[in-house]
Amino acid sequence: MIEARSKTRRAETGSVPTVAYRDVKKRFGDFVALAGVSMEVRKGEVVCVIGPSGSGKSTLLRCTNGLELIDSGEITLDGEHLPNDWNGMRRVRQRMGMVFQNFELFPHKTALGNVMAGPKSVLKQPRKAAEQHAMELLRKVGLADKAASYPTQLSGGQQQRVAIARALAMDPEIMLFDEPTSALDPETIGEVLNVMKQLAEEGMTMIVVTHEMIFARRVGDWIVVMDRGAIVEQGSPEQIFESPTRERTRDFFSHLVWSG
Amino acid sequence: MNYDWSVVWRNADVLWEGTKVTVFLAVTTMAIAIPGGIVLALMRLSRIRALSIGSALFVEFFRNLPLILVIYTAYYILPVATGLRFSPVATAIVALSLNVSAYNGETFRGGIASIRQGQSEAGYALGMSRFRVMIDVILPQAVWRVLPILASTWVSLFKDTSLVSVISVGDLAFESMRVRSQTFRVLEMLTAMAVIYWMLGYPQAKLVDWVNNRYRVSE
Amino acid sequence: MSLDFSPVFTSWQFLLGGVGDTLALSALTIALSLVLGGAIGLTRCYGPSGLRWALIFYIDTMRSIPVLVVLVWTYFALPIVTGVTLPPFWAAASALTVHISAYVAEIVRAGITSVRPGQSRAAFALGMSRTQAIREIILPQALVRMLPALGSILSITIKDTAIAAVIAVPEYMNRSQTVAGQSFHPIEVFLAATVVYFAIIFPVTRVVDMIYARFAYLGRS
Repeated sequence: MIEARSKTRRAETGSVPTVAYRDVKKRFGDFVALAGVSMEVRKGEVVCVIGPSGSGKSTLLRCTNGLELIDSGEITLDGEHLPNDWNGMRRVRQRMGMVFQNFELFPHKTALGNVMAGPKSVLKQPRKAAEQHAMELLRKVGLADKAASYPTQLSGGQQQRVAIARALAMDPEIMLFDEPTSALDPETIGEVLNVMKQLAEEGMTMIVVTHEMIFARRVGDWIVVMDRGAIVEQGSPEQIFESPTRERTRDFFSHLVWSG
Repeated sequence: MNYDWSVVWRNADVLWEGTKVTVFLAVTTMAIAIPGGIVLALMRLSRIRALSIGSALFVEFFRNLPLILVIYTAYYILPVATGLRFSPVATAIVALSLNVSAYNGETFRGGIASIRQGQSEAGYALGMSRFRVMIDVILPQAVWRVLPILASTWVSLFKDTSLVSVISVGDLAFESMRVRSQTFRVLEMLTAMAVIYWMLGYPQAKLVDWVNNRYRVSE
Repeated sequence: MSLDFSPVFTSWQFLLGGVGDTLALSALTIALSLVLGGAIGLTRCYGPSGLRWALIFYIDTMRSIPVLVVLVWTYFALPIVTGVTLPPFWAAASALTVHISAYVAEIVRAGITSVRPGQSRAAFALGMSRTQAIREIILPQALVRMLPALGSILSITIKDTAIAAVIAVPEYMNRSQTVAGQSFHPIEVFLAATVVYFAIIFPVTRVVDMIYARFAYLGRS
């Protein structure tokens, strides 16, 4: 059960957005993935991006940390424009954490090894320090006892929690979640969402692409509805879930009745 | 026709020396050809076109030539091309290494390509460079994945070392055939040669089968 | 280093004859190996179990012994044991066939066992006999999966014919050695041999790849 948390009201923050997208466009061949997306993410906010498959949600996330490069428009982080080249984005990626739908833990490393991978390989931290930090993070996500386990020995929910710890090990300013629970068995979804909620309560800025409407409603501060590469509607959870103004949004929700 | 099988025991020490050379050639070649194959695979995947094409040409070249020809050509070309004196063993190792590196290059390329793109992305998302992702994430998994193929390549290499006998390298084949020429005990020596190769090769082939089976089970 | 290819050109007819022998030996070996190897592979899968063990032993033995050893034994030792002396070409063809058939048999076995067991169950459920199921359902699927490995057997066979040079078969490698020895220009002669062998083997490899790419979808599960 996801309890509602005390929210960050957008009207109250009014500061420089942590991440801002201005008319971001991206196409793959003939397919238009992003058709000019503009939005803001404020510090400490949990922004949930929802919408049907193929709406560009994942693409938007992947453009944010440069796994995909945008065709036009701009993305800023703390006010500075993000470079639109692969190597330039490498520095930026160290300031962002990403959690994948398929966890993508490194199978040849233990849970501890996975969490240490970033600090050791990228930040060149000494082994002892990286290990201690990694153990703290595993404790935080409730998996300290699984430190020596390999990913194949862990359940999906456990793997995803390790993946979250791995991303947190880099001390990111913002966490990006790409459908973090879509590949999980229903029983394990809860444990992952609870960790994410905990992060939100600690003030982490998060962009979450998700199908979990209850999570979005209870934990999200700002909801963005996308369809066919464009933002259909965005607003507070109450506004979007209770009184959506756009037909497309209403359509989307009505289809969700069958999928829960 | 009388057979004198004692000729085999009487020359056991020579055959043993030959066997040692065979093993030495195989081990040395593989020690060179595994890093060689990895380098070729990485070159093939490089964004620098010269490296990528160079690697592809190298691999295609050596995979489409008979090894015995490579051995002969190396024997004549190496001294002239480099101005250095090459012992037959050194020539043999060069020829074998070029050949097996090419095969391993293909093997590792396939292994690397078989690793899901998401693994690279997870590495990039942590801020890893392309180099780091290859070294820390992709290669460890790729090498593990192609172990069965490397095992097969090893067995083939072990048998292929017999070809260096044509340039008078004192391996098992050469020594066996030399004793045959000296003693005229053709059937005995040639059969002994076949049996010794069989005794060495059979367990290796079975080991490869076992590796393949274990691998399939744990997949 | 200055290269003088004239010995190659003056002996071109002699060398060309070698190409003919190489191709003939390759084609004969491949044809015989496919038949023999196919028969052995099928027997290995579907034959009586006593025979199976003998065949497994034969296959594993050929996997353990170098081609050179089989060639040399067949040419020099076999006559002593059997009194039958095979001329070099036929000794080579026999030795190569016996050796390569083992690999073909293994490929056939791997292809057959790679077809999902559910396929034969489905065939039986439809009322097919064992032979029918094998012939109409299993083998066609197995065949497509065998193609890449069988294709590489083509290249391997052509490369192995070069080893037959050591038992005096006048194929291209052997003739190159002759010309190299007579002309004292071994580098040029063997470089020419490199070009010739590449020109023969490379297209074979490519064509096999292309054919497989065309028909691969038939074998997908």
